[in-house]
Amino acid sequence: MDNILTIVGMQKSFGKSLLYSLPMFLISFMFLTGGRPDFSNPASGIALMVVFLFVNLLYFLMHYTGKTDRFRAVLFIIFALSLSYTLIHNMLEVRKSMSFNQADILECKIPFCHLVIPMMLLPAAFTKSIIFPGSIIGGFANISAMVVLWLGATLVLGRGFCSWGCFYGGWDDGFSRVRKRRAIKQISDLWKWMPFAVLLMVMLTAALSLTPTYCSWICPFKAVTEFEQVTSVESATKAGIFLSLFGGLVVVLPVMTRKRTQCSFLCPLGAISSLSNKITPFTVKIDKTACTECYKCVEVCPLFALSKEGIKEGEVSLFCSKCGKCIDACPKKAIHYGIRGIPAGTMKNFSRNLFLFVSFLFMAVFSSGPIINTLQGVLKLIF
Amino acid sequence: MKRVKIVAGLLWAFIGLIVIIILFPGLNSFSSSLSRAPFMKLNPRYTGGAVSKQLISERCTLDVRVPVFNGFLKERNTGFVQLDWRGTLPDKICDSIDYDEDGVKDFCIAIDRTEMKTTFESYNVQAKNIIISTPTSYGWAVRIGLLKVPKSKLP
Ligand code: SF4
Ligand code: SF4
Repeated sequence: MDNILTIVGMQKSFGKSLLYSLPMFLISFMFLTGGRPDFSNPASGIALMVVFLFVNLLYFLMHYTGKTDRFRAVLFIIFALSLSYTLIHNMLEVRKSMSFNQADILECKIPFCHLVIPMMLLPAAFTKSIIFPGSIIGGFANISAMVVLWLGATLVLGRGFCSWGCFYGGWDDGFSRVRKRRAIKQISDLWKWMPFAVLLMVMLTAALSLTPTYCSWICPFKAVTEFEQVTSVESATKAGIFLSLFGGLVVVLPVMTRKRTQCSFLCPLGAISSLSNKITPFTVKIDKTACTECYKCVEVCPLFALSKEGIKEGEVSLFCSKCGKCIDACPKKAIHYGIRGIPAGTMKNFSRNLFLFVSFLFMAVFSSGPIINTLQGVLKLIF
Repeated sequence: MKRVKIVAGLLWAFIGLIVIIILFPGLNSFSSSLSRAPFMKLNPRYTGGAVSKQLISERCTLDVRVPVFNGFLKERNTGFVQLDWRGTLPDKICDSIDYDEDGVKDFCIAIDRTEMKTTFESYNVQAKNIIISTPTSYGWAVRIGLLKVPKSKLP
């Protein structure tokens, strides 16, 4: 029976899946609506309810089909797109342009994003100050709120933040799914250490210059959020770097390799999040007794977290973002979500259910604002 | 030992569950607590530094800020002083500034707001050039680049 269910992709009965989805339904309803959906503005009321039902449908399907990654990716990719839409829409409405100017910097009005966090650390420790022209508290994307959200998520999910929380990750995750087959098959997985080199470089340069150098010079996502007005050779060079890195690492290479190359080869925050994987309660485990060493998981892992040697040892490396792709691909269910301290191969369902609840709740609530905002924009365009 | 590990793991996982559940409802209070931490203030390179004196005229005020030479471990030799004009500004602004409070004017700055043109004349070798001159939501802001010259080398 289990086999038949696996073949048709159904792991739990309809009723049982509904029961498992009920806590998410109730708690996300409270978080999204405050217990009282407001329909005084019909567009925002409808957008809110559509998003609420949609995220809960995805969560239900995770239980019903037993698959994780495909439903996670739908929300994750929509999150990335709507965050960019929200930021660009804000910029165009307030400033009539996607770029910010010197006055915005002088008045400390730049929205803060979590990729700045690694560069804040040394200056915060040594100069007791933050090197970013944003708002410490209050206003859109303020520094304190973003740091709290990232800290909370990283403490609990570790690098899971990179598949369940980061509003940029959905870009290369999305492009890595465009082709069915890989056009480039061989990439040395030594490149996965590159983010640590970038991390070291940006931490040092940011400390020495007291400017967030990654944001000023490297971040590919400037191409889809906001960047400095092009007024000089320097700003034109920066815009060129942002666009080329976005085109190369976020679009072309993920399409060709089916890997998340920006997250694997560049992002300094991804490097820090990887280290946090060492302490988080939730992990991905390999049950060596069930594993037949087919290496399907190694092939599909988008973040180079698995290797043949690691599989033989029953080890998942610290680069794992808990996306669930390998778990969905494993024909023997040998690789699974686990809880630190609990041996591989035991309490698989319990661990998965608990992990899914925690990680999906974070993503659903974190992503709902921008998605509702985007849907509202679309509804306004149509009606 | 195995049992202790399992119990500790489960406990840690449930703490994780609680952290995520309280994270969003508690976000305002957690972030306002964090914002009170001693390191949670913007570096003067971004704020422009504290206001050192305020020159008040009929319809506008000019804030002259404390010169900023902040560096990572020690002060730098180059820095800036920021000037902010606030209120209803005339089309043409012209002010002479004594930024180091030694009783002698250090530079003169003239802004033509309609032409978006700023001119700068230095009377002090330490006041070098205009780094930024821009309209802002509150009026106009200028940053003048400064160079620390040892007293012995001053003319
Ligand atoms: S690696 Fe960086 S950009 Fe990618 S998901 Fe993680 S934090 Fe986001
Ligand atoms: S090891 Fe599995 S869960 Fe971890 S990043 Fe790779 S595919 Fe995703």
